[in-house]
Amino acid sequence: MRMKYETPVIQKCQTGLMNKFGSCPHYSRKIRTGIDDVSIDNLVEKYGSPLFVFSEKTLRERFREIHRAFSTRYPNVTFAWSYKTNYLPAICAVFHQEGAIAEVVSEMEYDKARKLGVPGDKIIFNGPYKSLHALEKAVSEGAMVHIDHLDEIYDLEKVADKLGRKIKVALRLNMDTGIRPQWSRFGFNVDSGQAMMAARRIHHGGKLIINGLHCHIGTFILEPDAYGVQVEKMLKLAYQIEDQFKFGIEYIDIGGGFPSKSKLKGTYLSPDLSVPAIDDYAEKITSAFYKNLRPGDFPRLILESGRVMVDEAGYLITTIHSSKRMPDGRKAYVVDAGVNILFTSFWYKFKLEIDREVQGVNEPSIVYGPLCMNIDVIDEGCLLPPLNRGTRLIVSPVGAYNVTQWLQFISYRPNVVLTGENGKVDVIREAEDLLDIERRERLPEHLLLSSKSS
Amino acid sequence: MREIIVGVSGINAVDNPGPGIGVARALLDDKDLNVKIVGLAYDGMEPGIYLDWLIDRSYIMPYPSGGYDAFIKRLEYIKASFGLDFIIPNLDSELPLYAKYSEKIEKLGIGVFVPTLKQFHLRAKNRLAEVAEKIGIKIPQTEVVTSHDELVEAVEKIGLPVMVKGALYKAYRAHTTQQAIEYYNKIVAEWGYPIVVQQVVSGEEMNVVGVGDGEGNSLGMLGIRKLWITSLGKIWTGVSIRNQKMLNAASSFIHTYNWKGAFELECISNNGDVYLIEINPRFPAWSYFAAGVGLNLPSNMLRKAFGLPISQNMDYKVGKLYVRYTYEVITDLQPFQEIMTKGEW
Amino acid sequence: MNRSQQLAISENGFIFDPTTGESFTTNQTGLAILNRLKKNESSMEIALKMREEFEVSLEELERDVADFIDHLRTYGLM
Repeated sequence: MRMKYETPVIQKCQTGLMNKFGSCPHYSRKIRTGIDDVSIDNLVEKYGSPLFVFSEKTLRERFREIHRAFSTRYPNVTFAWSYKTNYLPAICAVFHQEGAIAEVVSEMEYDKARKLGVPGDKIIFNGPYKSLHALEKAVSEGAMVHIDHLDEIYDLEKVADKLGRKIKVALRLNMDTGIRPQWSRFGFNVDSGQAMMAARRIHHGGKLIINGLHCHIGTFILEPDAYGVQVEKMLKLAYQIEDQFKFGIEYIDIGGGFPSKSKLKGTYLSPDLSVPAIDDYAEKITSAFYKNLRPGDFPRLILESGRVMVDEAGYLITTIHSSKRMPDGRKAYVVDAGVNILFTSFWYKFKLEIDREVQGVNEPSIVYGPLCMNIDVIDEGCLLPPLNRGTRLIVSPVGAYNVTQWLQFISYRPNVVLTGENGKVDVIREAEDLLDIERRERLPEHLLLSSKSS
Repeated sequence: MREIIVGVSGINAVDNPGPGIGVARALLDDKDLNVKIVGLAYDGMEPGIYLDWLIDRSYIMPYPSGGYDAFIKRLEYIKASFGLDFIIPNLDSELPLYAKYSEKIEKLGIGVFVPTLKQFHLRAKNRLAEVAEKIGIKIPQTEVVTSHDELVEAVEKIGLPVMVKGALYKAYRAHTTQQAIEYYNKIVAEWGYPIVVQQVVSGEEMNVVGVGDGEGNSLGMLGIRKLWITSLGKIWTGVSIRNQKMLNAASSFIHTYNWKGAFELECISNNGDVYLIEINPRFPAWSYFAAGVGLNLPSNMLRKAFGLPISQNMDYKVGKLYVRYTYEVITDLQPFQEIMTKGEW
Repeated sequence: MNRSQQLAISENGFIFDPTTGESFTTNQTGLAILNRLKKNESSMEIALKMREEFEVSLEELERDVADFIDHLRTYGLM
């Protein structure tokens, strides 16, 4: 009778590092054999590795949870799906089905939203660069344009002249809410009076009508109080603009920036301790509304949440290709997914789950991507049991920003699938091949290699 | 009297001592209680593991940064294999976890007596001014900064030297602006924003340890004046004092915030003024002093938690001396071997 | 020099080096390899013999034994 095998491991007892739980299998090891009842094995067998998997169930649950947190506290709430966080049509469609309008920051995103069937008046057009052409298109289709700077006021006045009508616009604002770094590069500053000056200029021009205010105070904001400060400043300004210029402010767009439950590198506490609940944010924001609104006034509250909606619904399945022992004794693994498709690895410490039960104690390990680049590191220090080739690691949360910021670099981008609420799995972006890479490339005739050799 | 098994962490009685050993001694001093101590250690070298006359059994714990699941599983295991009725967490890094999940831990049949998460956040140094004002005590001139520019501005405003502190952890004294920037970078890299820049107030260092019952009442408090500190700034010799301004602030702290559990206020007295430097939401390493002068705070906490009668004496003698000393234990390699291979001894 | 000769190896996987005071922990398979190294067996011999004792392929064992010895080297134990 042969004994059960376990990969041999040896660890030195080092002062300050003598915690068995580093190495104890039962406490720090996480196993994931499926996503929404679809097994990892089946997914990889059918769609290959690496593989992005999104859970429709999580997407919808997350949206509803966050929507409920606000809509039960305030009567007039709209969510705008932040396209740049993830603009795969299927993902956007899920949020639109749930009732979100679109928030885009470029002409490309605007076109994507329109193609998906979102009407112009359900699109918020943000960003510091909107070409005159894009503005004209957006305005004529009724989009909600948020002005970023003075030049855009001139551009929009031109568009108004051309269309022969007044245009409703919103002002993008920036302000000190105690959050650092302060996002002062977008919009008009409230604290210095710049925003009021812009409003005065618009009023004076007589071609634009301010009907909304928008401000986005930053990203991964762990302090709910900051939103309270933001709302107070925005509402004060709104009433100032209404009183002085007789514009009616119909909506207050407070942007996004809520954190997801992902662990930022260099932070000590686990996210379930450091990230406040969404209800804490909703409470601060809506109570600041009630505190500062005039009686009977309920302007529409718009939120442009991205990360917090989608991050935890996305997983990346990756396969261990090889392993080696580093000179410092650590174990290193090379997996088939690198930073080219996992952009957020530069600031997140991901959760790594293993697709099967593994025997043996954990050892300090590094997870490298497949790129021939020194920066291609998925995790520079984690505890993993000895893993064989072919074992799969499930990396999460990866739903935000990766499938928009990924790079076309030395390899094909993999399949992206959605596990549906009906138990069905759909490919929502096919894996690339050489045709995708080369479709726009042209080789001048005199450089053809075959023509020379023949 | 039924046996109560109490888990105590911070049993690292080293040159920067954890409070656990003092807390364990205090509990064992209460002869009316039938207490057994379980040591909750994070490293195989924590001396408490080897002090078998104080600690009956020790377990290596998963780090709190590993999250709730691993931690709770370990507590369940200890409860099942040895027994565990109550825990006194003594380390800053554990407090958020115990605070957030106290109800769930209590559901396992393990009592805790810790501040709420909201109370815990009061200790953030960027909120010190707000707390100090409410409890009627001064604080050194303080600026909260989040950029190099603001840091330099703050240093100019306050004047060198300054203390550069993280919101929760780390504090350095900077004598030049350059040094302040270095410390700033160091703390930000490890613990994040914001950074607190504080005037250095010279004077006598004095602290108060206390326990609040969570309903606004005190379960006892003791003031100490540091007489001698180590190169790490840890108290080595001290004397019991009764500084009314400091004690009033501590009472007010308990009352104002309905503070639940142990706490320490670190203060500096200068020309009759008392400045609040730091709030620690747990027992300090020197808290055995209180038990030694007849004010057994850990025992009072345990008694309150279990509904047992609490000594009504809240008084203590001033002018009692607190002296630390070093001591050696000689033992076999076996406990070390066990703790390293099995995680318990 | 093969320092493994002088190590005090206990059955629960605790290893103590009496000449340097260093200690290590290992698992059952690591223990099996170390005990064989003490007897001056080669890595090939170790893999072949261990295959008879454990449920594992020779290929996997060869890789693991080589990696384990690599690790011993990084600790200066080989």
